Amino acid sequence: MGEVIENVSFTTTSAISDFLKKTPAQDIINWGRKNSLWFLTQPMGCCGVEMISTGCSHYDTDRFGIIPRDSPRQADVIVISGYVTKKYLPALKRVWDQMPSPKWIICMGDCSISGGPFYESYSTVQNIDEIFPVDVFIPGCPPRPEALIQGFIELQKKIMAKKDLGTDY
Amino acid sequence: MIDADYILNSLTKTFPNDLSESKIESDMRLTSYVEKDAIFNVCKHMLDNLECNHLSCECGVDYPDRNELEVVYHIASYEHPVVITLKVKLPRDDPEIESIVSIYWNANWYERETYELYGIMYKNHPDLKPLLLIDEMLGDWPLRKDYEGFPNKTSKNLV
Ligand code: SF4
Repeated sequence: MGEVIENVSFTTTSAISDFLKKTPAQDIINWGRKNSLWFLTQPMGCCGVEMISTGCSHYDTDRFGIIPRDSPRQADVIVISGYVTKKYLPALKRVWDQMPSPKWIICMGDCSISGGPFYESYSTVQNIDEIFPVDVFIPGCPPRPEALIQGFIELQKKIMAKKDLGTDY
Repeated sequence: MIDADYILNSLTKTFPNDLSESKIESDMRLTSYVEKDAIFNVCKHMLDNLECNHLSCECGVDYPDRNELEVVYHIASYEHPVVITLKVKLPRDDPEIESIVSIYWNANWYERETYELYGIMYKNHPDLKPLLLIDEMLGDWPLRKDYEGFPNKTSKNLV
């Protein structure tokens, strides 16, 4: 038996969502997101070795907020670092599904972009971008850690420009 | 001192009818073809009496013009510096051979891989199933020379 409150408009979930998406609030959220791109330590091929060394202290990716994580539940970015075999693809999809949104994918190395040295192989999957929403492609066999860092910075630019595929605006 | 000579002597004495084209390349290297029914006992003899206690690899080779498959065993030793290469010829349409997992435990995965890539059946293998390929590809035998996977069974063409 409460009092009747007059002249108060209640917000709804969609109103909150509209406020977040259509006002500069989104820019502030994106600024936070872009500065904490934690990536999943999930090396898949020889590129994975470069990915691991990128996460180590020598290249110091923390200054961009890029930190390697061991669990898909805590990661924002998955780096497809190498060849995807037919046997591994279901597991990779599962890891991707386990990551909480917003999440992004970076394709690292020729293998994940077009097949690379394993082009026309009987056991690998090509055209990863038809399976996952890939934001950044980093060519090279393997790309140097600096190239991977540049890929992350390109992803940050895309997030600020709201051009990324990982979040739906 | 056990060297390639000693091993060949011991093998020919124990298995007089089962070795052929034996060749000693140096003190450390011996190559020989073995009859397919004898390979299990030869391996057992090598492990029990000749201290060859390390199977370093086991693989397949395809010879379509001879209509044969070969299984190649490289057996080495931690006790003396020898590497023995044993080869077994198998008919291409029905390749079947005794598994040596009960002698060298690490042959397990080698045999599974040779099975999925060449279609060589290993009798008495504890768990013969594909190792690296998906189950649907069983029966394609991709490393046989007449495998025609592309473009239907390999990755998609980009151009
Ligand atoms: S692109 Fe090159 S370095 Fe990277 S996984 Fe493929 S073969 Fe290895």
